[in-house]
Amino acid sequence: MGGLNDEAIKNHIVPYLSPVIKEIFLKMHTQYFKGLEEIRLRIGQPLLIKVGDRDYTLNKQGKLEDDLKRAYFVSADDIYRSVAAISDNSLYAFEEEIRRGFITLPGGHRVGLAGRTVMEGHEVKTIKDFSALSFRVAREIQGCSNEVLAHIYPRDLEPVNTLFVSAPRCGKTTILRDVARNLSLGTSRGRGCNVVVIDERSELAGAYRGRAQMNLGPRTDILDGCPKALGMIMAIRSLSPHVLITDEIGRKEDIEAVQECVNAGVAVITSIHARNIEEAQKRPLLRELLATGAFDILVVLSRSSGPGTVEEIVRWDSLCCG
Amino acid sequence: MLWLKTLGAAFIISGFGLYGMMGARTISNRVKQIRNIRIAMGFLEKEISYLHTPLPLAMERAAQCTAEPARTLFYQCGHILQDKQGMTIPEAWTYSLEKLRSVSNLKDEDLEVLKVLSLQMGVSGLDEQKKLFKMIQEQLKLQEEKARQGVEAECKIRAYGGFILGTTVVILLL
Repeated sequence: MGGLNDEAIKNHIVPYLSPVIKEIFLKMHTQYFKGLEEIRLRIGQPLLIKVGDRDYTLNKQGKLEDDLKRAYFVSADDIYRSVAAISDNSLYAFEEEIRRGFITLPGGHRVGLAGRTVMEGHEVKTIKDFSALSFRVAREIQGCSNEVLAHIYPRDLEPVNTLFVSAPRCGKTTILRDVARNLSLGTSRGRGCNVVVIDERSELAGAYRGRAQMNLGPRTDILDGCPKALGMIMAIRSLSPHVLITDEIGRKEDIEAVQECVNAGVAVITSIHARNIEEAQKRPLLRELLATGAFDILVVLSRSSGPGTVEEIVRWDSLCCG
Repeated sequence: MLWLKTLGAAFIISGFGLYGMMGARTISNRVKQIRNIRIAMGFLEKEISYLHTPLPLAMERAAQCTAEPARTLFYQCGHILQDKQGMTIPEAWTYSLEKLRSVSNLKDEDLEVLKVLSLQMGVSGLDEQKKLFKMIQEQLKLQEEKARQGVEAECKIRAYGGFILGTTVVILLL
């Protein structure tokens, strides 16, 4: 998959790092910004970045190192200042996000939070005493779904129910985002249709303070932060979608909601975490759903030729009938 | 020569008198300034608890609806935080309090009450923030009451004291 503008990282991610780490990144060679996927800050541990498939550490001069001993070691002050910057010095304004374990930055990039969790009953009330931060770079790669789009939206027909099967970090969110944009915009095969994106974890639209940071097309409505099952039913009742797009289904209520949508004649495009179809079928709830023929096609993604590699596209009728 | 002496005496008495009155004004200003800061704190509390406005923006809004020198405190702090130069709330608030000290008539004890905010503001959930702002407003109310109680007596002492001191100097010179 393609890269992200250097300036976008400098403007959307670097300002949220502590001043010391910010300096290190500004000294880093800009060529590495293109493939930058993750920045990891852990108290007392080396500053780590992931460029493509490789982990590196950075030294004080902003040079990439393989030897962890020569790394810059992240201090408690770095974490404190980064959290202050990410939360705009206002943790109270991000209570819901902290409860969910991440804060979204402008540009749709996500910062995962680790620290001491405070429970209330069986639910996480908040996280305090932050000990680690994981900056995950969001990428919008227009056109990355072209290969699968011909199958999802066949010429002169309605979009079909599609399930993306993918292990983590194989680019399913990026592809789903591009599918949403293309279906909303319309393609050479068909007109644009009403799309509702149920973005429970603010990943697809990368909403920052309620406003989508990613281009999801002109006919797309976004239910940001809304639980998938609730959102799907809400959308059918109030937003008259042709297509519902959501990420990472798995809970019982999600499966039931998908079934409900399919029965209501709304196309559902979603994803699950699994390396292949066999692995997906080992999950009882999913096996049941697949057996009902809810999905017309299954798209398996991998990283074999980089994130977003389409391993196979399987028609459900061919899978179950022969 | 008598007219010259009379003129000089009048100058000395009025000079001391004015100095005393200015001192008296400082005392009554302190009450007004504490009240303004307390009201701005109430505004800030509402911005935080009802609108969940991030602190930098809430500070700037609070600054817009208060008079100087309280405006300096909130505007300065909000501005520093908006700049995103890596400064945290305790640093920005402490810096702004020092600015406030130089332009206000507040006493150290008033500033100490405000200093408490630096370690707690923005770093906890909504409920804790509400409690914090309520507590600070209560403390400021006490400070305001304390300042008001002393104001009448002290104003009189300073205002009359200035004239009396001026007269004493004139007598000694004569």
